[in-house]
Amino acid sequence: MIDEFCAHRGVSLWFGRNEERGLRCSYHGWKYDVTGQCIEVPSEPEGSRFCQKVRLKSYPLVKIGDLLWTHMGDPQEQPPLPEWEFARVPPEQTYSSRRWQECNWLQALEGGIDSSHVSWLHSGGLRDDPLFKGARGNRYNLSDKKPFFEVAEADGGLFIGVRRNAEEGHYYWRITPWVMPNFTMIPPRGDHPVHGHFWVPIDDENCWVFTFDYHPMRPLAEKELQAMKDGYGVHNKYVPGTYRPLQNKDNDYMIDRAAQKRGESYSGVWGIAMQDASLQESMGPIVDRTKERLVSTDSGIIQARLRLRKAAVALRDQGRTPPGVDPAHQRVRSAAVVLPKDKDFALACRDELTVRPGYRHASV
Amino acid sequence: MRQSDGQRHPTLLNSCAMAATSGEARFRIEYPFLPRDSRIVAVDAKAAEAVCRARARHWSGSAHFLTFVAPTPRDPNGTAPDAALRTCDGAEALLSKELADADVVVMVAGAGDAKAGNAKAGNAKAAAVIGRACAERGIMTAGVALVEADGRAGGAVVALRPHAMVLVVSKDEEDLIELLTALRA
Repeated sequence: MIDEFCAHRGVSLWFGRNEERGLRCSYHGWKYDVTGQCIEVPSEPEGSRFCQKVRLKSYPLVKIGDLLWTHMGDPQEQPPLPEWEFARVPPEQTYSSRRWQECNWLQALEGGIDSSHVSWLHSGGLRDDPLFKGARGNRYNLSDKKPFFEVAEADGGLFIGVRRNAEEGHYYWRITPWVMPNFTMIPPRGDHPVHGHFWVPIDDENCWVFTFDYHPMRPLAEKELQAMKDGYGVHNKYVPGTYRPLQNKDNDYMIDRAAQKRGESYSGVWGIAMQDASLQESMGPIVDRTKERLVSTDSGIIQARLRLRKAAVALRDQGRTPPGVDPAHQRVRSAAVVLPKDKDFALACRDELTVRPGYRHASV
Repeated sequence: MRQSDGQRHPTLLNSCAMAATSGEARFRIEYPFLPRDSRIVAVDAKAAEAVCRARARHWSGSAHFLTFVAPTPRDPNGTAPDAALRTCDGAEALLSKELADADVVVMVAGAGDAKAGNAKAGNAKAAAVIGRACAERGIMTAGVALVEADGRAGGAVVALRPHAMVLVVSKDEEDLIELLTALRA
């Protein structure tokens, strides 16, 4: 991955020609290799070594799973390759998409660890969405609208547990891992694929949301893949040829008040992803948190902010590697389980919250 | 998605786009923060130390830092048992009076000695008394279980879980401070 702009006159290399061993600027033909080193300046005389003095910033790039990954820090500190399970299972078991979200990345991420909104905003999806419906666990979701929340520390970040009443003497737990700084994973439902997100900043007021779905044990079915491509589950529909969601702030997210009135959609916006994005973008491109009125059910967000701040300070002042870099922190799973009431979810599900190749994910 | 419905009933063309700009955000109305009446109650001796250390920070005058002492006979105005509490200065307090104006009660339990069965039973009983009193009055409850560095909870989690609508399990007292700060205690 190299700097976008040619060192000559600042032209974007998005217009460049992909030629053998490099990218050539379409304007005057300057050519760069994969390390950003300029290897040809056609206007210079034969034998000139001027090009050796021109180099663009570059970063290593690897493809693991469906995604391209880079390390933009000190090359001496380059971490091991990513170990996230969704990216490591065979290609037929995983699917990824990405969308542009027009707000700050942390504002978007906080939706991923804010489990208290699910019973409201996404209540329609549990009944109708092909990637959610039919799971036994949905019954517990729909029958107990007053869940209790529990936040537990994890080596890589947090586990956010949400419990609802299940059969006598038991709780239904949905456990969301947050791995620092920007990975969240949604607890599974039945035998549906498992999904989650990376929330990647573009700048302070825009981010990429990388969304994955995978099954640890089996290939994705054709109809599951089609549902994902059609924007169901936590994916979305697109403005053709772009990564911009079809429902966006310029068309008021195609809000459908009639569907809201009919009870098909709690907010009137179609689809889980855009239900979240529409509300998060409405907060403004970067929300002023001094005006918030947090309540105790926001504890996941509160604890996550504390951990991000501490990790950033420790990195700055002591050079301490933040949680999430260690591949062991990445070998994490979400889980949905029914446990006896006296069980501690993080201890009881220690195995279920860890990637175990060859073992099914814990789901109800 | 029923685009046709959306088109028949437009809100305002691009109203979401216009409202979500940085420029518009500057015009959002500033509302004053009314103080939230918080009661932070330690349910065991170890937690009491943490609660009184937390009290030393700067809080609104509406936050009261307390320790559970013992259940008392029933509150004449309610069905739940009442309880004697103690402030960090050693003054006596009564649970029913503390709850009269409370918006939220944060119960704090310490891991303590895992072998100290009586202590474990004690903090569970304290949490039950407070939790029932809050439930009767419709007061939000939160819990902070301060566990050992190795993750041992020593009964703190079990004591708080049934009665805290939100439970934070942490090895670090700073999580208590952070929670109270975010709640504007």
